[in-house]
Amino acid sequence: MKDLWFFLKLFKPHRFYLGAGVVLSLLTAFASISLLTLSGWFISSSALAGTAISFNFMLPAAQIRALAITRTLGRYGERLLTHEATFRVLASIRSWFFFQIIPLVPGRLATLRSGDLLSNMTADIDALDALYLRLLAPALVAAFGVTAVVGFLYLYSPLISLTTGTLLLIAVLVIPWLFNRLGVAGAEAIVSLAASFRIRQIDMIQGLSDLLANQAYSRFSRVLAQLSSTMIDTQRHNNRLSALSSALTLLLSQITLLAALVLAAISYQDDHLSGAELALIIFCVIATFELVTPLSQAMQMLAKTQKSASRIRQVAELSPSVIQSKQPLSIPNSYDLQLENVSFRYSGNLDWVLKNINLNIPQGAKLAIIGVSGSGKTTLLQLLMRYFDPELGAIYLNGHNLKQFNSDDLLLNFGVLSQRSQLFAATIKENLLIAKPNATMLELNVAIKLAGLEKLISYLPEGIDTWVGESGLKVSGGEARRIALARLYLKDAPVLILDEPTEGLDSETEQEIFSSLAKFAQNKTLIMVTHKESGLSLVDFIYRMELGVLIEMGAV
Amino acid sequence: MLTIICGDTYVLGGGYAKCASSLMNLTEADNQSFFDERKYREKACASWLKEQSTVVHKPVLLAAIAGIINGLAVIAQSALLAYILQALIIDKLHWLVLIPYFLWLAGVFILRSVCVYYHQTYGFEAGAKVRAVVRQQLIDKISSLGPAAIKQRQSGELVAITLEQVDALENYFSRYLAQHTIVGVLPIIMIAVVMPINWVVGLIFLFTGPLVPVFMALVGMGAASANRNQFLAMTRMSGYFLDRMQGLATLKLFGQAYHELANINHIADGFREKTMSVLRIAFLSSAILEFFSAVAVALVAMYVGLGLLGQIHFGPAQQISLSEALFVLLLAPEFFMPLRQLAVYYHDKAAALGAADAILAILEQDSEVFNGIGGASNAKDTFDASIIEFREASKYYGQRQVLTNINLKISVGEKIALVGESGAGKTTLLNLLLGFEAVSEGLVLLEGQLVTRDQAVQVIASAGQQTYIFHGSIRDNIALSNPEASEQSIFNAATSAGVTEFSTQLAEGLHTLIGERGYGLSGGQIQRIALARAFLKEAEIIVLDEPTANLDTANKIVLLDIIDELFKGKTLIIASHDHEVIKRMDRKVEIQQGRLVS
Repeated sequence: MKDLWFFLKLFKPHRFYLGAGVVLSLLTAFASISLLTLSGWFISSSALAGTAISFNFMLPAAQIRALAITRTLGRYGERLLTHEATFRVLASIRSWFFFQIIPLVPGRLATLRSGDLLSNMTADIDALDALYLRLLAPALVAAFGVTAVVGFLYLYSPLISLTTGTLLLIAVLVIPWLFNRLGVAGAEAIVSLAASFRIRQIDMIQGLSDLLANQAYSRFSRVLAQLSSTMIDTQRHNNRLSALSSALTLLLSQITLLAALVLAAISYQDDHLSGAELALIIFCVIATFELVTPLSQAMQMLAKTQKSASRIRQVAELSPSVIQSKQPLSIPNSYDLQLENVSFRYSGNLDWVLKNINLNIPQGAKLAIIGVSGSGKTTLLQLLMRYFDPELGAIYLNGHNLKQFNSDDLLLNFGVLSQRSQLFAATIKENLLIAKPNATMLELNVAIKLAGLEKLISYLPEGIDTWVGESGLKVSGGEARRIALARLYLKDAPVLILDEPTEGLDSETEQEIFSSLAKFAQNKTLIMVTHKESGLSLVDFIYRMELGVLIEMGAV
Repeated sequence: MLTIICGDTYVLGGGYAKCASSLMNLTEADNQSFFDERKYREKACASWLKEQSTVVHKPVLLAAIAGIINGLAVIAQSALLAYILQALIIDKLHWLVLIPYFLWLAGVFILRSVCVYYHQTYGFEAGAKVRAVVRQQLIDKISSLGPAAIKQRQSGELVAITLEQVDALENYFSRYLAQHTIVGVLPIIMIAVVMPINWVVGLIFLFTGPLVPVFMALVGMGAASANRNQFLAMTRMSGYFLDRMQGLATLKLFGQAYHELANINHIADGFREKTMSVLRIAFLSSAILEFFSAVAVALVAMYVGLGLLGQIHFGPAQQISLSEALFVLLLAPEFFMPLRQLAVYYHDKAAALGAADAILAILEQDSEVFNGIGGASNAKDTFDASIIEFREASKYYGQRQVLTNINLKISVGEKIALVGESGAGKTTLLNLLLGFEAVSEGLVLLEGQLVTRDQAVQVIASAGQQTYIFHGSIRDNIALSNPEASEQSIFNAATSAGVTEFSTQLAEGLHTLIGERGYGLSGGQIQRIALARAFLKEAEIIVLDEPTANLDTANKIVLLDIIDELFKGKTLIIASHDHEVIKRMDRKVEIQQGRLVS
């Protein structure tokens, strides 16, 4: 519950829309209940009066028309307002979350499976739309609505009013809540089964050649199918609970109706109620179901929304992986990097990733680090860019400990090319301008030419203004890498970090990229990490990383 | 109209970029072609969904029947309530006399609860079955596509499709389809019940009910598009947000993170305004549903009420009894209930279409086809001479030619060094031999037969450039090809390949867990496990791709000695450009830019 309150606080700036939405929902609900109740009363009164008209029938007839119109307009306005409110709230939560994770990237979030994490986060934030639309608003409407209905019925019969109120609350609150609790274990099992499925399938995809060559794919896929069916079985169990909950909620609300009917019949027989009032009470109870049905759905969603809220908070409240100096040094003009007895591990209970590393990288040096994946090469690069601080030893920049610099400032001095070239859903031009927002067209064209993007762009009808990224133009891996390369040129940073820069590219593109880089890197520091032998002509020294130990292999 | 088109077409995952561009002035013509393309794709996805539903006809039908019985029970319930009220109010019967009717009513309530339970559980079965079937199709498809095709996709993305996107199909099959059937049946039954009682009320139902979709269509949105539009807006915004979050590291690298925060706010405002302007029209459809539902209640109440008062003489107004009047009034809101429920479920369909788009993108990808060009049935005779033969084999990727006219014969027991620079086509050549990829032209014969993957993986043991270590024990990783192998033979393989040299130093020996989250291995250790794996398979042909890459000289010599010893007498092909390797082989086959050089 604490997590939900936390997010409700973020709702505050939008209280006008939120409040107005609830007020209109209430108005609509009242119109809807009154319409049916009044109609029931009107018909019964008419039947009792017969052709000997004993009451002013024009008034209720007019009221019925007015209520029908109110209900229609109210529903329309309520939908607009609640959605306006939801969009505003979600926008606030998104920018709040983005603001929160800026300091966590790249260090802290790199240690988690960040791709999955972020897409889960997006889904979680979307799930929070339920917080207002399906939880808060229906709860408030039901609370006010049921109170009003109970108060209204109280005028006719206190006993019926209280019985109805109590039974209804049990039906829509207690039963769904109880069954939700019963389903918690299953829901958690589903999450951990999905995690096993994910790990298992990633293994199967990454090791596909080995599995196929060893005729082991079908064996592995049987296990995967087994996991999937266990997951579905658990969901089936939970679905039964939820179906049972819906059925019992319905049954209990109908019993409420039956109880009201019997009690009203007795009161009528004892002359405490008139015939028309009897009909009025029954129709009122029936109409109230509409008011509380969303609430029982809300109760079924409560746990899920709560889970989302707590996951978002957990991520947003992570501490950054490095502590920024209070009075950071300004970044020097020349870049001499020095690693002294550097050891690092991701956390105290994991194995050491880097073991006692000593390395000098004077300005302008060009070196490569080779080794199998998982040996610690990439981690070393991340330490140089201060994604993390070493656990033992220290890294110095021009003789000052890297910890004395602001890590965001440091990043601006590195040009990075890796196997993941992040393209944004934007035009090619916008994708390039990220590297240098005030770049002139001339500068852009030079970078495009250097990166070998000319051919691609001249072939596109919209040229540099073509949309790329998800659902835009499908650029190939090589083209994406060239866009990243053009960015690298535009940024023109003193230190180049190449992390498997040509992984996944064909040899032709690879050669072109390396020869382009060779010219550009002339006066810069260059640090390349690779498990291949191509591209080693770019560097002067080669090191090998073997299980976190750096071994000198000598000059090229 | 611009954004409306956009909103409507967005259904199929990831259209938000284009939508964002329309916010930023994309031409009408661009939008139209995008629209047509999407429309076409949406049709394909919709027909795929329909195809899938054929396997779940039964549970969907059962769920629909449960829903229809529930609807019939509602009719019975309304009739009982109306009768009881008439008996009490008009006929002045004592309530104790009515106890049998109360009991009937209780019975109907129980029946409704049972129906609600079965409606939901049968619905689940429909969704569960489709999910299981589609998930299996995807898993099988990944293997038939093979490593070369799969490499072009991120493994995380593939897992997300097999897991989350398949789950996103659930509600369409479990709720939407059954509700769709119910909407086609229940209102007709209700009209049929009401007609004989009061034909005027029947006509009110008849005209207001079918008019709802007509008016919705007139508003220009199709049924219940409000829900869909809301769903689309949500997806669009969260898609943009995800894109920027995933690129946050890049943004920070260029010092643009806080600038982008302002952008996100700005874009979110833009999206909200545009979306609300669409919703203002789209919500008219739900207002119409609400209007007809309210009008039906109001009209029925006025007609029967004024009829009872003798103010209306039209139709059977004056013969009406209170119970009939109450009955039709109670039915009026219920008449619209199935339609309103369908509107609530409408975004299930939009979600399923989006998921279908992502799933189809995998399922529709062409698998490698192994049909040799030219007859090779008589090639079997030549098997004695050469166990492997490439006959004028070529391979293209689109325009790019990777292998050209390869002619190569390898005899039983030969040791071949396949030499060439990285990218010359060595790995592709080996992939053709292993059946991971098919030739574009020419033939590849293995033991005298046209190669197929099934045959190749039976007779060839291979270790790729980067041997993958699965999460599990060292033993499991060695026994990959034959999990039923005896402990003795696994131990022999481990010993011969030099695995025991390092495994004995580990506390749990061969049972030590390795792979992700397990004990880290060095490059040399991984290669030894790969050799043990290949040895245990006891195949006739051994293919090793760059086994000595990433090894220092000392380790390399040790490993090559192991290879010599392990695969004595077998046909051995090693792709490498290492002199030490070439020296030890019988023959050097050199490949340059996709062609063999002699």
